Amino acid sequence: MKLNLMRMRLALMSLLIMSVFMISAQASDDLKFRLKPGAKGELCLKCHEPFKEKLKAAFVHTPVKNGECSGCHNPHTSAQGKLLDTVSTRICDSCHKNMVPDNARSMHKLVVEGNCVQCHDPHASGNKAVLVKGGNELCLDCHKDTAEKIKAVRFKHKPVNENCMNCHNPHASEKLGFLLKEDVPALCVKCHKTDNPAFGRQHMNYPVAVSRCNSCHDSHGSNRPVIIFEDVHAPVAEKKCSQCHEEAGSQSPLATKKKGVELCSGCHKDMIDVTFSKNRVHSPLLDKDGCLNCHNAHAARQKKLLTGTVLYVCGKCHSDTVELQHASKINPKNPGLCKPVKDGDCVSCHSPHSSDYMLLAEKPSMSFDICNKCHDWKTHSTHPVGEKIIDPRNKNLSVDCISCHRACGTGNKPAMSQFETVTETCIQCHKELERR
Amino acid sequence: MRGALINIFLTAAVLFFPVSAFSAGTVKYMHVLTIYSDEKDMGLKNPEGVACNEERIIVADTANQRFLQFKLEDRTLTAGAEIIVPQVTYPVLVKFNAKGEIFALDGKQRRIARLSPEGSFTGYLEPSGIPSPASYAIKSFEIDKDNNIYVLDIYSGRVIVLNPDGAYRAHVNFPAGYGFISDVTVDFKGNILLLDSVKSMVYTAAKGADVFSPLTEGMKEQMRFPTSLTTDDRGRIYLVDRNGSRIMVIGQDGSFLGQMSELGWKEGLLNYPSQMCVNSKGEVVVADTNNSRVQIFKLIK
Repeated sequence: MKLNLMRMRLALMSLLIMSVFMISAQASDDLKFRLKPGAKGELCLKCHEPFKEKLKAAFVHTPVKNGECSGCHNPHTSAQGKLLDTVSTRICDSCHKNMVPDNARSMHKLVVEGNCVQCHDPHASGNKAVLVKGGNELCLDCHKDTAEKIKAVRFKHKPVNENCMNCHNPHASEKLGFLLKEDVPALCVKCHKTDNPAFGRQHMNYPVAVSRCNSCHDSHGSNRPVIIFEDVHAPVAEKKCSQCHEEAGSQSPLATKKKGVELCSGCHKDMIDVTFSKNRVHSPLLDKDGCLNCHNAHAARQKKLLTGTVLYVCGKCHSDTVELQHASKINPKNPGLCKPVKDGDCVSCHSPHSSDYMLLAEKPSMSFDICNKCHDWKTHSTHPVGEKIIDPRNKNLSVDCISCHRACGTGNKPAMSQFETVTETCIQCHKELERR
Repeated sequence: MRGALINIFLTAAVLFFPVSAFSAGTVKYMHVLTIYSDEKDMGLKNPEGVACNEERIIVADTANQRFLQFKLEDRTLTAGAEIIVPQVTYPVLVKFNAKGEIFALDGKQRRIARLSPEGSFTGYLEPSGIPSPASYAIKSFEIDKDNNIYVLDIYSGRVIVLNPDGAYRAHVNFPAGYGFISDVTVDFKGNILLLDSVKSMVYTAAKGADVFSPLTEGMKEQMRFPTSLTTDDRGRIYLVDRNGSRIMVIGQDGSFLGQMSELGWKEGLLNYPSQMCVNSKGEVVVADTNNSRVQIFKLIK
């Protein structure tokens, strides 16, 4: 009994201390600018009269509603525009902390940049969460590619047309990519009843309820029925799942009959034979996933069932080269950047499966044979170039395109040059012209 | 009191000064010579493999589909004798074992060929007794001082340890979450080291251990795409940064020690190097692949 009394007293003391702190905090806020009692926002509105109309909106930002204009603005002076208390990209942080979880898997670029006002009106709006626009209009204003696609596709996905937020979190996703609220298939089965017999029949009685739905279906809609991706692997289109997988009624129906390249060679034998007859086979083809390192087995948005754009697929491993390509692309000194580099079309010059030549080059000479597809190097300049012109720096090399240029881009250097300046390029060989 | 403070200061100075003085030190080296051609003055073409010991160097002259053997004495090379092995059509990697036998990986067949010290073909390495899965794809290999062979199997994601005759002894699976493992080596203590090209990371498994753990963090900021690694008899680890055209050196503890060479055409500079080796004299031999030559450097201790 005595112990309980002690505990109660302790709790009361704690509450009392907390209350004192809260009151003093409130008092200090009120006293921040020594405002007259009850002045607060009303004082501001004496001058900012048109703002009164804004405050009639259905949704008003809480500090605005409470007249706490000084929560964001300094009434006297500020180094920031609109007399903001701090930089506009950080001002929301002062109250809205932890909008992005630590180590979030995916984050909305605008949130990371602190560009909250792109989506939210800091004062008031007619939309929930003081959003500047309602529904999908807000998202699709920026995500124009998606907007066009959603509009154009023949078969639409209902939740997409209703609200992007049905599937995506607008700020960040702690554990998932693409700002997804839940992982696939959990997200999908919230609407799609997998215990429905029709669902089983449509999927050839394979237990796909635990599979990744987006390995076949395009969640944003498609021109194909059941919103299957545009490029469909023939066995999937023909519903011949057992061509690659164990039978639906077997113990492990989703297991593939073979692993890696062996699985694909059942149908693509000729292509695989050619691939493996070359001197150099791209290493990912040799591992257990084989072709699936780059291709989707079921269906894909990209042609040739690629898991993404060529740049994305190659960049999964060769991020260093893609960084170089990107730096070259955004370099203002490179207005006439080589088109395959600009487009990130690595397969213009490289054979992605195998090759007889270095760096999986499509042809024997990276310069003469490959660059020549677009550039007539014989008319490039009066400088002697060709297989018979020996590089003065190295008798085993010819003077060719890559004597001066770098095929995948060179970041900040102009014209994909290997060197910073024209002079530096020339004096590599013409040493007599070097200024000492 | 004052004496105690001085003692503390001195102790701290002794403890911390050497770390700051040497931890960021660069690797000191000098270019010694460059190999451009064989004894008949035929030029090298995209050589990818080099093996070396104190007396000789063997070069896998890849695009010429041959080997060249050089003797190295007092920084002087004898002319390179050509070795053509019809059974090895596309040599991409070479190693010596302790008996001086030559082991070469044929990139096209993905098989390891055994050659006598003179270069005669004596057979392919035929791994036996490998537990399920029996399939394997050889990307690289290493031979330790006891002539055990460590095969980098990228099909099943493991390092298979074979005895000198090719019989299975053990295997260690690749670590979870790896990017792409390009190379394997064994240091002087018997630790197995793995190189992850995509993550620019090195993993290690102590001698006899059955799991790999990270030796370094991802080193993407220091290097672009390392594809080959080797160690010296002091335990330093050399990573050939192929896309970065340089050699990065890290310590036994994974600390970054420095860089050797950089992209270029002049002697001493590299262009998409492949394999490298280092002997006990501190001579570093590099297959300077896109410059179609082999370069020899000397580490300055």
